[in-house]
Amino acid sequence: MSTHTRTTWIARSTLLVPALLGGLLLVYVAVPFVAFLARTGTADVLARLAEPQAQVAVRNSLLTATTSTIVATVLGVPLAYVLARRSFPGKRLLEGLIILPLVLPPVVAGAMLLTAFGRFTPIGSIAYAVGIELTGSFIGIVLAQTFVAAPFVVVTARAGFGAIDDRLERASRSLGYSALGTFRHVALPLARGAILAGVTLTFARAMGEFGATYMVASNPRTMPTRIWVDFINGGIDAVVPVGLALLAVTLAVLAVVQRVGRVPTVIER
Amino acid sequence: MTLEVVDLTHRYGDELVLEDISFEVETGEIIGLLGPSGCGKTTTVQAIAGHVNPTAGRIHLRGEDITADPPERRDIGVVFQEPTLFPHMTVGENVAYGLRPAGFDPDERAATVDRYLELVSLSEQREAMPAALSGGQKRRVELARALAPQPDVLLLDEPLSALDRGLRDQLREEIARIQRETGVTTLYVTHDQETAMALSDRLVVMADGAIAGVGEPRKLYESPSTPFVASFLGRSTRLPLTPPGDPGLTLESRALAGDGGTPADTGRICLARPSNLTLLDSEQPKAEYTLAGVVERVTDLGTRYEVVLTLDAGGKLTVETQRVQLESGDRARCTIDGTDLLLFEELPERVGPVY
Repeated sequence: MSTHTRTTWIARSTLLVPALLGGLLLVYVAVPFVAFLARTGTADVLARLAEPQAQVAVRNSLLTATTSTIVATVLGVPLAYVLARRSFPGKRLLEGLIILPLVLPPVVAGAMLLTAFGRFTPIGSIAYAVGIELTGSFIGIVLAQTFVAAPFVVVTARAGFGAIDDRLERASRSLGYSALGTFRHVALPLARGAILAGVTLTFARAMGEFGATYMVASNPRTMPTRIWVDFINGGIDAVVPVGLALLAVTLAVLAVVQRVGRVPTVIER
Repeated sequence: MTLEVVDLTHRYGDELVLEDISFEVETGEIIGLLGPSGCGKTTTVQAIAGHVNPTAGRIHLRGEDITADPPERRDIGVVFQEPTLFPHMTVGENVAYGLRPAGFDPDERAATVDRYLELVSLSEQREAMPAALSGGQKRRVELARALAPQPDVLLLDEPLSALDRGLRDQLREEIARIQRETGVTTLYVTHDQETAMALSDRLVVMADGAIAGVGEPRKLYESPSTPFVASFLGRSTRLPLTPPGDPGLTLESRALAGDGGTPADTGRICLARPSNLTLLDSEQPKAEYTLAGVVERVTDLGTRYEVVLTLDAGGKLTVETQRVQLESGDRARCTIDGTDLLLFEELPERVGPVY
């Protein structure tokens, strides 16, 4: 009995130090949330959100983030499938390239986008000539958001496809389905959870994108750029309403990801 | 004939895994493709199914060259080594999966699913998800799924190797029954000679990426085409061959005399089934042809004993016997009927080790 107590005590004491350190981090993460939410009483959140400027920002953000997410998904899911199923020379280089935007500072990403698609670059000027503005426009926002957020759906969907035993796909081919039919009937449904998680993360990242967007298209305003402008003009309390709205979106996204976001273990043995 | 494999050759990089594989499968026949692990069996079936693109050689199905066709255009059903049921579909949906591309009407599909689930005695499980099935049930659903579109050929790639013995024997019987009832032309891949002998009309034995023998199971067992087949199909033990006139090895001269009068010498391999060798009691009069040696060990295998002799003439010999009074270290003699000897020219070997 006493040895049992002793072992428990030792087990507890061995976890004491990591628990203390980890606890410190948890507190540090929690405090800003509490502090920020505590401010909501001082600002008239609903009234401020009803103002035209805030409404426009919310609408712009929803519109551009949805567009960016669709573009990233339509192009990213096929890329993820190819990366999961084929090996070819230079594949590692491609894989490095696709996760680069995840680690690149968004401001630098924005600068790079400007050098490639700015008004006076070859591509930018051709687009301008036919009446398309690649910067300072909705398209500019979508370009910035897609660049920064697309890797999420590619990386997550790739993991989902990779977890599918490729013998399932061979079985489907032998049962009469083409490669495309097999993708639609086997790979896509089995990777659905992972793809949905990737889509949701991409949407959240696009909604929150500030650095690259501000460089490429500070106008029209999205929620993050609106927050920045409000902060410059009115200080921290001016930020609270739109900030809260973004926080709400983020929490909803987190809920969805936790719900669907497990990478499926596909083949039962 | 339904399926014809012609000079199939395959390389993975520099490694030659298949070399000039040729065999035919007649309509309605069940062929056992037998060989040890790594001999190229699975590559062969994957090439037939279209999942491996062979380096050289042709595959003909009902007289048509299908070598370049993708798997979905081949009308070949496959049951893989590991379960491949679609986990997001019910048992019924799995079985129905191949019916739409095969051109079945929606009404026909439901009836066909019913029929094939009944064939594998799983009608009750129609609405179940694959995860809820036992290992044996999964195999049966896969069999039904592969058969439902009525393929020209059914490929079974070691479908039972992951199951335990009792279940394996039971399913083997069931596969034999289903094959009889449907009459589907079948290529059954296995490394288990017992399964292969029990199921097959004919055997194709493979070793090291090449064919070592083709024939009816019993004929191939009784007169194996190569030393490899002799040792892989059943067991065999090697008898020493020395030039004629060597005292104590009259056996060889007799056997070889019966084989057209060629003198015993090098360049030949002589094998015997351990069950065809007979131990002689010391009191028995000296038999005409004997091999003498010292008992190295005696192993009790329950249904029989196995005696390993170190021969005076060199080499070791395994004898199977029902009764034994010998212990290791004893001297012993054994004999064999000359007609039971298996003689091979020692060809430049391409089929790998003899044992």
